[in-house]
Amino acid sequence: MPYFAKLLLLMFCLVHLVESRKHRRRRWTSQLEVQRASHIYKKNHDMTKTWKGKPEQLLRVDDHDFTMRPAFGGPAIPVGVDVQVESLDSISEVDMDFTMTLYLRHYWKDERLSFPSITNKSMTFDGRLVKKIWVPDVFFVHSKRSFIHDTTTDNIMLRVFPDGHVLYSMRITVTAMCNMDFSHFPLDSQTCSLELESYAYTDEDLMLYWKNGNESLKTDEKISLSQFLIQKFHTTSRLAFYSSTGWYNRLYINFTLRRHIFFFLLQTYFPATLMVMLSWVSFWIDHRAVPARVSLGITTVLTMSTIITGVNASMPRVSYIKAVDIYLWVSFVFVFLSVLEYAAVNYLTTVQERKETKLRERFPCTCGIPHSKTMMLDGNYSESDANSLAGYTRSQMVPEEGKQEKMVVHLAMSNESNSSRKRGLKGHVGLRIIQNTHAIDKYSRLLFPGTYIFFNLIYWSVFS
Amino acid sequence: GSPIPVGIDVQVESIDSISEVDMDFTMTLYLRHYWKDERLSFRSNKNKSMTFDGRLIKKIWVPDVFFVHSKRSFIHDTTVENVMLRVYPDGNVLFSLRITVSAMCFMDFSRFPLDTQNCSLELESYAYNEDDLMLYWKHGNKSLSTDEHISLSQFFIEEFSASSGLAFYSSTGWYNRLFINFALRRHIFFFVLQSYFPAMLMVMLSWVSFWIDRRAVPARVSLGITTVLTMSTIMTGVSASMPQVSYIKAVDVYLWISFLFVFLSVIEYAAVNYLTTIEERKQLKKRGKASGMYSIDAVQAMAFDGCFHDTDVDMDLTAFSDRCEENDTRARAASVSNVDTTRIKRKRSLKGNVGRIILQNNHVIDTYSRIIFPSVYIVFNFFYWGLYI
Repeated sequence: MPYFAKLLLLMFCLVHLVESRKHRRRRWTSQLEVQRASHIYKKNHDMTKTWKGKPEQLLRVDDHDFTMRPAFGGPAIPVGVDVQVESLDSISEVDMDFTMTLYLRHYWKDERLSFPSITNKSMTFDGRLVKKIWVPDVFFVHSKRSFIHDTTTDNIMLRVFPDGHVLYSMRITVTAMCNMDFSHFPLDSQTCSLELESYAYTDEDLMLYWKNGNESLKTDEKISLSQFLIQKFHTTSRLAFYSSTGWYNRLYINFTLRRHIFFFLLQTYFPATLMVMLSWVSFWIDHRAVPARVSLGITTVLTMSTIITGVNASMPRVSYIKAVDIYLWVSFVFVFLSVLEYAAVNYLTTVQERKETKLRERFPCTCGIPHSKTMMLDGNYSESDANSLAGYTRSQMVPEEGKQEKMVVHLAMSNESNSSRKRGLKGHVGLRIIQNTHAIDKYSRLLFPGTYIFFNLIYWSVFS
Repeated sequence: GSPIPVGIDVQVESIDSISEVDMDFTMTLYLRHYWKDERLSFRSNKNKSMTFDGRLIKKIWVPDVFFVHSKRSFIHDTTVENVMLRVYPDGNVLFSLRITVSAMCFMDFSRFPLDTQNCSLELESYAYNEDDLMLYWKHGNKSLSTDEHISLSQFFIEEFSASSGLAFYSSTGWYNRLFINFALRRHIFFFVLQSYFPAMLMVMLSWVSFWIDRRAVPARVSLGITTVLTMSTIMTGVSASMPQVSYIKAVDVYLWISFLFVFLSVIEYAAVNYLTTIEERKQLKKRGKASGMYSIDAVQAMAFDGCFHDTDVDMDLTAFSDRCEENDTRARAASVSNVDTTRIKRKRSLKGNVGRIILQNNHVIDTYSRIIFPSVYIVFNFFYWGLYI
């Protein structure tokens, strides 16, 4: 009797053991969800030693060939794309490109990855599973350099839902080409776009589309550039044709950037305007001060040349003229013309002097007023003696003490110059011409500023 | 067995940059290989191809094409490796890659910036020589296609052409080499605006000095010297972005000759001033024997020391100072003798006349320069632009 009881007990134990093992296996498979749901474990053992299975086993990765796309041989698999732009890092005019950091998310459905689940919750994995399953091979057309951030590990997320839907997200920095038109620089707006396309799969195998239409593109609130104002972001999609490989779906992220003018106002326009105004100062300086007027003109030309060189240093070498070039070169021409104007003034003065000298030599006479006194009277330097008071006006006299007596001398002397009346006419004409040299300066004082202001009005109304 | 023929097809996406300093260019292109591998044939009813991404590459054989004379290159790998493999049922394979490559280009700058550069990208198999692998352009000259909007800011791309040749390595044999040739013509406009035009303006500005009165010594000297300084700055600016080559470039020729013109205008004024001074010293010796002092007229005095004078100045050579008031008071003291000087003037005027003729003759150098310098410069410009364009 006890022998039979022992046998029964043994059999009972064995059955219990078998049952418990089955029970344990079932618990392995749903352990992940159970762990999330409750922190109470039935068996008190070290968690690092219990989980012997791998996600590949869970997802049955080794059962399928993931080098083939889902629904291989069948209809095209639709892949939804969602982008969140983190920042626009830089826009480079010299290289004609821009650098952007963004979160790129793909949504598709792969039946092979579905797994049974009670709670209908998704499983999240990091980058290491990506190598074992199929993911869409999206690339950025016209990109120069790009990389997936890998600090501290690859910034990749894979989330698998029980029905086989997959969310694949990564963080990328991409430098892409953007054709820029600088004919209105720096009052320009640039439109750039980032293009996504599948590398291997044509329209028949993979359909890329924006997941939420126009709202698929989100930007961080504080996205801003120092030199530009970001006007708008919007999405479009199109088909692209390659002659050897066929039609591909292409998605576009378009954005418009308007440049802030303030920096260039301060850096380029304002110094150039100041230089032109400085060159006008030369018209108000006495035309006898030759070194002063010449060095003023020449130094403003040198400074304008330096400003022009400075602007071109940070610009690409384009073959057309930019708006800032127009302004700087017209200003340069103004400054140059002020130097030429003084050369003309000086030359005409010298010519007149020489004529007066020749006149004096032909009729040497002691009754002429020495030229030094003439200079005091009308502020013109001359080598000749004035033989007539005609043309002298009070306003041209330099106010100095002891002037009156010299005036008397002049009046007395003019009575003796009867024979010089004929000469006086010529001298009168000469004096008029000498006075007229002031006229060039007088005209320039009005002409140069007027023309420059007019040019400014036209320029800013055309380009703003 | 017999060598395997591999067809090549290239679509150039963009030429990213051409660097003169490094003498290289960077190009992004889609490189496609076509060959037939019987081991990859599979049965198919519909005769459609199968497309794979990059992971199959490691398991099958692909041709090992590399770019000869390339400095850096990489296959883009965002988001995954930009590689496509398409296998047809009969075993034909299409293998496509997206690559950015920086390759060497030997540039000749003797006509810079009116130059045209010829660069070429060369493809070759690394391991397999002509007996094992035959590289050829799949569609002959039409194998090379470019995106529509391929353009560079500084260059005009004249033509793309494909050619092929054989290359011999003494240690390994003959290899097939394919060439992608393109010619780039530089846009001259930027350099006209940046270098030629400022240089021309500086030379014209130096001519202004011939029209200014030769007695204005500080003015003419500072004008000449500042134009020399600006020319020097322009030349430095051009050389900064150029490689340091051992021959002379076209832009160097222009800038150095312009610099020479500006330099000569300074030397011309030095000659004028020197001759004027000699004449005056001769006159001074004549006058100095009579009175022991010499009188210079007010304007000449002004030119020498920059101060205003309103009377004739009688002064010693040694008393020539910068203090203007001192000179003026001395002059006023001396003006008492004006009446005498007018009488003496008649006698002096004859000798002064001779002196003045010689002094006037120094104007002659200026008068000639006003014509010679501009005309020689214009002739030089005709020669230069006729030769290089």
